[in-house]
Amino acid sequence: MKKLICFVFPITTLLGQINYTGSIKPGNMYRLSDQSEISLPFRLGEQEVGYSLGDFEIKTNSALEYRWSNNENEFQLREAYLMWYPSWGEVKVGKQIHAWGAVDGNNPTDNLNPYDYYYMFLPGAERKVGTVSGSLKYYWNDWQFEGVFIPEHEGNRFPFGETAFPLDFPMSAPKLMDEEPGSEFGFRLQSTLGSSDFSISYFDGRDRSFSKVGITDSIPSFFYRNTSVLGFDLVSFIGDFTNRFEIGYFSTENNAESNMKTLNDASYIQFTGQVEYSTENDIMFSLQIIGSQISEINGTMTKDEFQPGMGTPFASFTDLGLSFSLSANYLDDALELMGNTFIDLKDSQSMLGVSAKYSPMDNWKLNLSISKFMGEEGTQFHNMEDFSHLKVGLEYHF
Amino acid sequence: MNKILIILTFMSSVFSQTGFEIATMVDEKPTPMDMSNKTKMILTNSKGKSRSNAMISKSIDGNKKQLIWFLEPKDDKGVAFLKIEHDDKDDEMRMWLPAFKKVRRISSKKKGDSFMGSDLSYEDLSSRNLDENDYNRLDDEIVEGKDCYVLEITPGKEANSSYSKHVSWIEKSSLVGVKEESYDKRGRLKKVKEFTFQILKDYHVIKRVFVKDVQKTHSTEVTFSDVQVDSGIDKNLFQEKNLKRLPRD
Repeated sequence: MKKLICFVFPITTLLGQINYTGSIKPGNMYRLSDQSEISLPFRLGEQEVGYSLGDFEIKTNSALEYRWSNNENEFQLREAYLMWYPSWGEVKVGKQIHAWGAVDGNNPTDNLNPYDYYYMFLPGAERKVGTVSGSLKYYWNDWQFEGVFIPEHEGNRFPFGETAFPLDFPMSAPKLMDEEPGSEFGFRLQSTLGSSDFSISYFDGRDRSFSKVGITDSIPSFFYRNTSVLGFDLVSFIGDFTNRFEIGYFSTENNAESNMKTLNDASYIQFTGQVEYSTENDIMFSLQIIGSQISEINGTMTKDEFQPGMGTPFASFTDLGLSFSLSANYLDDALELMGNTFIDLKDSQSMLGVSAKYSPMDNWKLNLSISKFMGEEGTQFHNMEDFSHLKVGLEYHF
Repeated sequence: MNKILIILTFMSSVFSQTGFEIATMVDEKPTPMDMSNKTKMILTNSKGKSRSNAMISKSIDGNKKQLIWFLEPKDDKGVAFLKIEHDDKDDEMRMWLPAFKKVRRISSKKKGDSFMGSDLSYEDLSSRNLDENDYNRLDDEIVEGKDCYVLEITPGKEANSSYSKHVSWIEKSSLVGVKEESYDKRGRLKKVKEFTFQILKDYHVIKRVFVKDVQKTHSTEVTFSDVQVDSGIDKNLFQEKNLKRLPRD
């Protein structure tokens, strides 16, 4: 029997295929104000390994998080999941990162995974935390149906006690009210109408950020509220412009047990509209308008005190903002230049970023970026002014 | 003598084919039901510096449905592209971006955009609709020892082309294009393309494309290896879900 197992194993290994990619990305950040080092962890190395056999595939995505100041390092298994591709769709089970929505970042409807606040300024899946979940996607002509089940809620990863981090977090995590064990679920239906793609989605779960919900024994109590999100997104093309739009209607309820509740329930809307255009010279422009509006709040809490616990993180900074970015490639794509800005249309605060990536040879890149935060006293970006920084890095991909 | 000349002129005008007829013959030439290959793309700039891309491509219906998975450069490995051409509505183009975990719908209207930084545009990769262009036959020429028809092809408004015209050299014996010049909207020469074919299962199948952008003095050489035709590629392959699955090397 042992002989048979030994014989079968190498054959199945040979029949399958291993795919891997990875990168090593040392880098550092320095304050613009005094050129001092900003001591925050970063992902020094990342590796994705996949093994496929027939209609099945196993994927893992791991990273080594490192901090220069005290040589602190931590291995992170960011994703590990099994995929099955039947003729009608795809099924995924395990620790994974999902992505919903049509706009590029700042998605109100993309709430399936918590955010990792250490990587908030990175794009795409880089800033998300993988959670154990199961998903099923069914394809039928122009229609796609996706269902996701998350057995256990997981909140954002916050940088408590990080004095170098720009956002105002306490030194340690506040004591949260006892959480009810509970699962989360969501579904999304996508289709095509003419030349446009649209989808509707629904998610029922707990907030990714905890918030103050009341006072118990004279101590403020914090909790992950129950929240459901009804979402809609659209991609359409008008002339040479690509338009993306996304809106989420959030209904949140405070079911924590505290002596004095400051919030019973609330509802709010978040939206992001995006227009893209690329010129004859392949310069890509993208304009986003990001908005948030509290439509109803019940409790002693005022609208100014209310903090959304889900949706686009920019909604916690402002009610209405404008983001503009442009990117262009030169020297045969060896040099990539990018610029972006975010302007708060309600309060006087803004952010400006420029970056350059240069690839002197295949698989190597040198990165340089500058981010500058500006704002009037009392604004979030005012608190972040000292975080304005220069970032330098090297990338090797294999 | 004069009578003979008149008869010859009359005969040639009656029996010579028009540009449209030649284009129709090229269009009606049998093509594989499906094709798969490994593609290597070498981009060379004016200073002679080169960089390369590698990908796997599968297509059906004369390239109207195509899936491309990128293997190199390494930081693009896993990125994939799906194109579905429609007769009655705009074409669909989608890209799988693993770093974003998203299938991103992209515009098919800007056909002149470069494909992965190469000298080939999305329009160069798409099939030309016979009825959306005007064909004018020019004097025949011999190119690299091959007797060729020469056609001037002018895209109509409905073609939504980024070019004002093309001049194509089509080998008479095989009815395959061996060379093409493409002109920009201002009528200036933009690209010179050279094609090499191989015969597989009685089909003329492309083996190499060399494109030079004469305005940028930049070139792209595309070579195709492990080419397979009529291997029975399932039409259900051309779905979003398969963008995420790298095929076997």
